[in-house]
Amino acid sequence: MNPIPFLHAAYIVAWVVYVGYLGRILLRMKKVEEETKEMQREK
Amino acid sequence: MKKLALISIPLTLALLAFTSYLALAVAPTERTMGDVQRIFYYHVPSGWVAGLCFFVNFLASAIYLWKRSEASDAMAAASAEVGVVFCTVLLITGPLWARPVWGIWWTWDARLTTTLVLWLIYVSYLVLRRFAAGGQTQMLAAAFAIFGFADVPIVYMSIRWFRTQHPSPVMGGGENSGLDPAMLHVFLINLAAFTVLGILFVWLRYKLQMQEQALESAHAQAALKGVSQ
Repeated sequence: MNPIPFLHAAYIVAWVVYVGYLGRILLRMKKVEEETKEMQREK
Repeated sequence: MKKLALISIPLTLALLAFTSYLALAVAPTERTMGDVQRIFYYHVPSGWVAGLCFFVNFLASAIYLWKRSEASDAMAAASAEVGVVFCTVLLITGPLWARPVWGIWWTWDARLTTTLVLWLIYVSYLVLRRFAAGGQTQMLAAAFAIFGFADVPIVYMSIRWFRTQHPSPVMGGGENSGLDPAMLHVFLINLAAFTVLGILFVWLRYKLQMQEQALESAHAQAALKGVSQ
């Protein structure tokens, strides 16, 4: 069995999970900021 | 905060890219497992950061039960979520390493099983926070977190207490344990990089949690005003 694809898969999966999670946090932050601004405008 | 995030995010990702290069191209090849052993430089630091996050969650939950502060509850929520992310990577990279080395993806040995249970405990914690109704959610979550943390030392000690499929500790595991100095060097740099990534995630997630809590209370106040008018 060639183990190299397993090594590559492990590194790729880790990067996808970490960068994906970072992107998710940043998107949620943007959404909350927009909602906060909208609420302040309504006031 | 935005400025600091704009600087720290690319810097952390660059650091992680550099440490990945060290792990893949600079660290010496292990004699028996070959190149696939390089998964070690991602697998172990992910487990370390997960454990660290769950410890922060435990402390923040204890502080919440003591002081009832919103900040400690936000820290507990942030650290649990980040811990689950790192624990997920731990549980994915483990089988990817096991398959070519052991010939199997998974076995119900002490280390693997207790780690899966740990992941399930903190996923349940997040589900509880997300879906529990009523005003007691934060307190319930804090109590749950304190009991849930009991699994962390069990995971850590499992390969010391039991003879398992999972290898014995590489460091601090007795006379025959230890790493080649060149490997140790790369490992410690990776450990530091993952810790920085964990701190960045917890910090950003904590800020987000605080913003969400502020927005929620603003919505509640607005609704109350609407009712009283």
